[in-house]
Amino acid sequence: MITIPDSLHGALLLSVIDFVLSFFIISGIGVILAVLPVVNRFWKIDEEKLRRGH
Amino acid sequence: MFDQLASLFRSLAGQTGLAHFWWGNVLMIAVGVVMVFLAIVKRYEPFLLLGIGFSCIVVNVPGSDLILPGGLFNYAYQGVSLLIVPPLIFLGVGAMTDFGPMIASPKLVLLGAGAHLGIFVALILAKMIGFSIAESGAIGIIGGADGPMAIFVTMKLAPHLLPQISVAAYSYMALMPMIQPPVMRLLTTKAERQISMAKIREVTRLEKILFPIVIATLVNLFFPPVAPLVTMLMLGNLLRESLVVGHLAETAGVTILGIMTLVLTTAIGSTMRADTFLTIRTLQIVGLGLVAFVFGTGSGVITAKIMNLFLKEKINPLIGSAGIASVPIAARVSHIVAHQANPRNYLIYHAMGPNLAGVFGTAISGGIMLALLGVH
Repeated sequence: MITIPDSLHGALLLSVIDFVLSFFIISGIGVILAVLPVVNRFWKIDEEKLRRGH
Repeated sequence: MFDQLASLFRSLAGQTGLAHFWWGNVLMIAVGVVMVFLAIVKRYEPFLLLGIGFSCIVVNVPGSDLILPGGLFNYAYQGVSLLIVPPLIFLGVGAMTDFGPMIASPKLVLLGAGAHLGIFVALILAKMIGFSIAESGAIGIIGGADGPMAIFVTMKLAPHLLPQISVAAYSYMALMPMIQPPVMRLLTTKAERQISMAKIREVTRLEKILFPIVIATLVNLFFPPVAPLVTMLMLGNLLRESLVVGHLAETAGVTILGIMTLVLTTAIGSTMRADTFLTIRTLQIVGLGLVAFVFGTGSGVITAKIMNLFLKEKINPLIGSAGIASVPIAARVSHIVAHQANPRNYLIYHAMGPNLAGVFGTAISGGIMLALLGVH
């Protein structure tokens, strides 16, 4: 397994990869959140029923 | 007779803490007193600073054996170092948190990544001044402004730095109302600070129930190193949003969170003993922590300004700094600074979106860091 070297070069490499990947992954979460409202078309939950315990 | 009495008193005095007092104890007791003062008089995050400050005072009284085996602070610290407390804190936080603002504004989650540049600036600087890469990563994560996550990552990468890193992380989180506003004002114009934002949509119960299930699944799938924390956060949130176990949600969000906060803050304060804490390394870590918070705040604001170049409906760049995490302190700071610029501005709900995304941003950064450094 390739690991990050314990040097300044390694620190720079780790930082760049981590920062860029974080943006990429959090964008993915954003996409999931953007499509989440679609579920409302297929299923509705009656909040009052939940609160009453059915 | 007099000599005997004097010798008896000398021996008695030698058994008290007085004989072992040195200036370091006085300095650390003063630090503890300032924390208690800020908590009570200035109301700066009393939930954190009161416990940290009090235990800092007590452990710096020579002779105090609360941190030795058998002492209660010792057991509190075990809970932290064995990583029992951080996931339970996340359980409580999840049960207290409405993720609606984040679910309603998907585009704002980008700020949760943008406001984490401070992690990497601190990491690189730490490496430059001689810390190992694992230690540098643990120091950098202070910039994630997420106490439990900072503890978690530190215990995996550099457990010997836990006292310094947890103190820096929690102290700066409590002091965010002082650290962030100057940076936010420096990077924005008055016109930008006055931007009002449209009301965000209502999130349905179904979305709120699905959110923790989906996120917990994805985090366990892609980020096993940080899954213990995020999973508990999502479990707490599911208890809250399902509406069917109100008493469990209340227990997690009030009772468990309260007890764990007490354990955590006393444990952190008890690590601030002058003999181990007053070192050049501590000063370096505390300094790097401040750099991380300043750069994180700044990069969040700049990310929001960059987003504005592409958005038709402009966002107030002040909400960018909330992406640093530290829920809900950073969101409150965004709201207060915006409100000062425009008294009709109420940004708290808008700022909560990036603020909550910041929790995931820190978890993602920490997870990637652990994976790249080969730690599980």
